[in-house]
Amino acid sequence: MPHEVIMPALGMAQDSGVIVAWLKSPGDEVKAGDALMEVETDKATMEVEAAHDGFLADVRAAEGATVPVGQIVALIAETADGAGEAPAPAARTEDGPKPDDEGALPEGHQVIMPALGMAQDSGIVVAWLKDAGEPVAEGDALLEVETDKATMEVEADRAGYLAAILAEERDDVPVGQVIAVISAEAPATPVRRAMSAAPAPARQEAATAQPDAAPDKGAERPAPPAPRPKGPATAAAPAGRILASPKARRLAAEEGLDLARLAAAGYPQPFHVADLETLRALPKSAAPAAAPAGGEVGVISAEIDAAAYDDFRAWLATATDTPPGGPHLLAAFAAGAMRAALGAEGTLTIAAGALGAPAAMDDADLAPLSAVPAPSEASPALILRDLTGTALTAVKPAAAPVPQLTVTRRGDTLALHLAHDAAALPEEAALALVAGLADRLSEPLRHLL
Amino acid sequence: MTREITLAKAVNEAIAEEMRRDPTVFLMGEDVAEAGTPFKVLAGLVDEFGPERVIDTPISEPGFVGMAVGAAMTGSRPIVDLMFGDFLYLVMDQLCNQAAKTHYMSGGKLKVPMVLRTNLGATRRSAAQHSQSLHALVAHIPGLKVAMPSSAYEAKGLLKTAIRDDNPVVIFEDKLMYQDKAAVPEEAYLIPFGEAAVLREGRDITLVATSSMVQVAQQAAEALAAEGISAEVIDPRTLVPFDEATIVESVKKTSRAIVIDEGHRNFGVTGEIASRISEKAFYHLDYPVQRMGAMDVPVPFSPALEDLTVPTPDAVARRAGAAVRGELADAA
Repeated sequence: MPHEVIMPALGMAQDSGVIVAWLKSPGDEVKAGDALMEVETDKATMEVEAAHDGFLADVRAAEGATVPVGQIVALIAETADGAGEAPAPAARTEDGPKPDDEGALPEGHQVIMPALGMAQDSGIVVAWLKDAGEPVAEGDALLEVETDKATMEVEADRAGYLAAILAEERDDVPVGQVIAVISAEAPATPVRRAMSAAPAPARQEAATAQPDAAPDKGAERPAPPAPRPKGPATAAAPAGRILASPKARRLAAEEGLDLARLAAAGYPQPFHVADLETLRALPKSAAPAAAPAGGEVGVISAEIDAAAYDDFRAWLATATDTPPGGPHLLAAFAAGAMRAALGAEGTLTIAAGALGAPAAMDDADLAPLSAVPAPSEASPALILRDLTGTALTAVKPAAAPVPQLTVTRRGDTLALHLAHDAAALPEEAALALVAGLADRLSEPLRHLL
Repeated sequence: MTREITLAKAVNEAIAEEMRRDPTVFLMGEDVAEAGTPFKVLAGLVDEFGPERVIDTPISEPGFVGMAVGAAMTGSRPIVDLMFGDFLYLVMDQLCNQAAKTHYMSGGKLKVPMVLRTNLGATRRSAAQHSQSLHALVAHIPGLKVAMPSSAYEAKGLLKTAIRDDNPVVIFEDKLMYQDKAAVPEEAYLIPFGEAAVLREGRDITLVATSSMVQVAQQAAEALAAEGISAEVIDPRTLVPFDEATIVESVKKTSRAIVIDEGHRNFGVTGEIASRISEKAFYHLDYPVQRMGAMDVPVPFSPALEDLTVPTPDAVARRAGAAVRGELADAA
């Protein structure tokens, strides 16, 4: 297809140019960058260069002619004999509606998106200064157009009525496309609509205009953010030093709280103000790891390689664009194992958490793995503590009216400990639960099948 | 009475009102008269005030900024239009060595009551030499005041104050905001320098944002509210003088802060403000002060790449969420 050569706007306020001389003749081979013609404006005489390789064809304006900006003065054909090729778009500024326009347009003179710069191929409609149906005088500013260089007003080149507006504000309109119609008679039904063709994507203003991106995202998120998904990435404190925010340190000092006790209990650092709540609740003497042994509580332990579980968590976080799952993810595996171990039917409630109060959730094994299940009111059949993000290695509760399953980590090893009262959970079911969970965590993908 | 007008119109009104009020105020720069600047901000002023007071200059930034400094020293109040903030590099001597230091060097005998109007802001597809946000360069120089309007209302009030100031003032408008409308009173008003605006009150985190980043921070605060996080948004309005007290008080309340500015992050405005917060509110901080600014690269022309170089509401909201939840910062 031949490329069009138009009269460029060489100055800001220029609406036509005089062709002083053609520097190439029809049929001449031209290379992009070759000077094609000399154009004189009210400010200067400049050479206009070819934008494409090809052959100069169909020269439509003679030397000495005054040509409106944006009008085609010649074509650059792809072949030497392409001079006869028809130009791609029909003449742009002729009167009368375009035959291929969908919808009936009022008759009249068509206003096109002008070329305001040399390298401009579209312009953004900033604002219409006249509304559809309004009378216009020659020279009246019709609209403001923004290009990559400037914002300018486009004037009516004849008097009449603005019968149709065919591009709305913010539309990015290719140069030469019809954006309005000026009719001689007052239009019975003025037309106003956005650019009919699928508009070129409006420029994205990352900095200033993403009105819906952020709120939408907010709406999609589950309402309460996970309380403290600190994850296992604990900052390594140099020996003997405790990492804490300045405010947490100041408040601890004011209240006479010792942050070292939090560190000794294995809570992840750095400590923030929220951790002081845990510190206040910490029993004065006994460290959790040294909890007294119970009488009728049985403990079943298992150790597995953490690699498969770690890989699965990382993959899930990437695949679903969510923070790496913590207690609720383990709860999903545990619920599956427990359902199988008990042969239970119906709703299965598990309370899961790290160090804080565990949150009860129903049927964690049936919920999507990426989301934290909604809280449940039901009393749990199992309490699950995910201590993988802490330094704790084993917990043995004094009593376990509800079976308590603890998952701890030492290096690349995950340890499972199930503390259960035989009255609440028979030995066989407890063994099946721990073995089943160990299997699932060793091969997490099996759980998905 | 208020009405909604564009930032461009607000600037135009500010200049017209001050030129009517004070005959020593005049306007000069490239394409300020007939063309009314490429952004059409000054359209119509030459019709009212004539070519003696609305002067089109040759394309010589060092020349006409130097002329403005001289005019200001001898009793006029010039407003100089620097078409793109990127051209500041051309006028550094006139601005930083002459305008900024004349009052001091003359022992207070000379004043330089001039205003340099220019702009900042990327994502306009204007490529590396017409997209920079260089306000940190001038904020660094003692003797210059720096104003950063974030809306049509701010632009009018700050520019009028700048014109009446007896010191050289550089005012940066966001060139993407010229068509943005805001409520502006019909009546004349001034916005004093050195008074930050608390645009939204919150308790969990303070977002300090300048110019183009103010609306980014406000959109982020909206998104955060949907997550149950309450963000306070503060616009310092002027970098010099700087309202440290309002920001420090806010951070003492919220314990966390993110500073957002469209200049490059390295050695810039975000670093300065973050450092003041850390100095003055250290024992109230529950999280390292975060900085978000333009990537430290020349602004790319490619739209896809250019959009990645400036902070977005989504990025600010994500960073704020991590801070409020106490998730590990890079610094920890």
